[in-house]
Amino acid sequence: MKSGLIRALIVGASCTVTLVSTAAAQRIDSTRYDGQALRYESYWGSARIIRGADGPLVGTAGWFRSFDVEKLVASSAPARAEARVYKSNSFRASVVGTIGATAAVVGVALSANNSNTASTPILIIGGLGAMAWGAQHLHVAFSALSRSLWWYNRDLARPQLAPLPTPVPVPARETEQGKRNKDAQ
Amino acid sequence: MSRLTPVLFGAQLLIMGATVMAAQESGYDENALRVESRQGNLQILRGIEGTVVARAGIFHPPRLANLVTQSDSALAEAKIFERYYQPGQWIAALGIATLGATIGASRITDINPVIQVSLYATSFAALGYGGNRLHSAYGALSKAIWWYNRDLKR
Repeated sequence: MKSGLIRALIVGASCTVTLVSTAAAQRIDSTRYDGQALRYESYWGSARIIRGADGPLVGTAGWFRSFDVEKLVASSAPARAEARVYKSNSFRASVVGTIGATAAVVGVALSANNSNTASTPILIIGGLGAMAWGAQHLHVAFSALSRSLWWYNRDLARPQLAPLPTPVPVPARETEQGKRNKDAQ
Repeated sequence: MSRLTPVLFGAQLLIMGATVMAAQESGYDENALRVESRQGNLQILRGIEGTVVARAGIFHPPRLANLVTQSDSALAEAKIFERYYQPGQWIAALGIATLGATIGASRITDINPVIQVSLYATSFAALGYGGNRLHSAYGALSKAIWWYNRDLKR
């Protein structure tokens, strides 16, 4: 009767410990996400990277800005790979888009001043084409940034595995047979 | 048999704990959303596989609210997104069309300069206002997806 009661108590205690530890792990996981998960908002061709729903602005990337997304998401390997795709496409989009916009504006200005030459339509059409090409690369860049932050946030949830402790040599206990052998010697 | 009972019970608890943890992780891998833009079209994708679950059409937003109903905060932001996206697109498109018309009109030699300036002012105002609406919409979209993915982990 007594042993049955003790068994029931042990089972109850283990049940409580398991449930409490699972809940605690979930809470830690959720807190980590709340405090560290990133998102971005596009802002006139740039990407503002924000931590949390209404959290602080971590940095603004794009349009000749030097903010290093790769460094920000360095803790996750897939996120880092996508950040590299973002960086290369964003740079191309910035350069070509700016050249295109400048050409188009010059073309429009020449056209508005009634100083039409043969180069005016070339400037406008070429400029718009370059802007479209730049916009296409900007879309590719933003998609890569979105994937990068998705992977980064995903890997926040993974438990951080602590390194295994180094094994400590434990002296073997001398057996009775060993003692007898030593005495015989 | 009576000795086996606590052992079996303990094993069951361990399995239960492991299942909860695994479900939490696979929940994100399979269900977490993200936004991508393909050929200039806004798309919402789900999970590692990147299944397209919603896409924006011409002048209509992706049906975001239907996707994020599980999370109240995400739903609130999704409604803001759907409210701002469409007017933003329409007004920005109107601004671009007006700008095109203004540039075309500027080639007419005897156009009244007041009309020309008014057309430029209207087109830039429409572009600015539409762009601002779209910016608010994209901000809400980003928050909605953030909240939804966050609540997947709870």
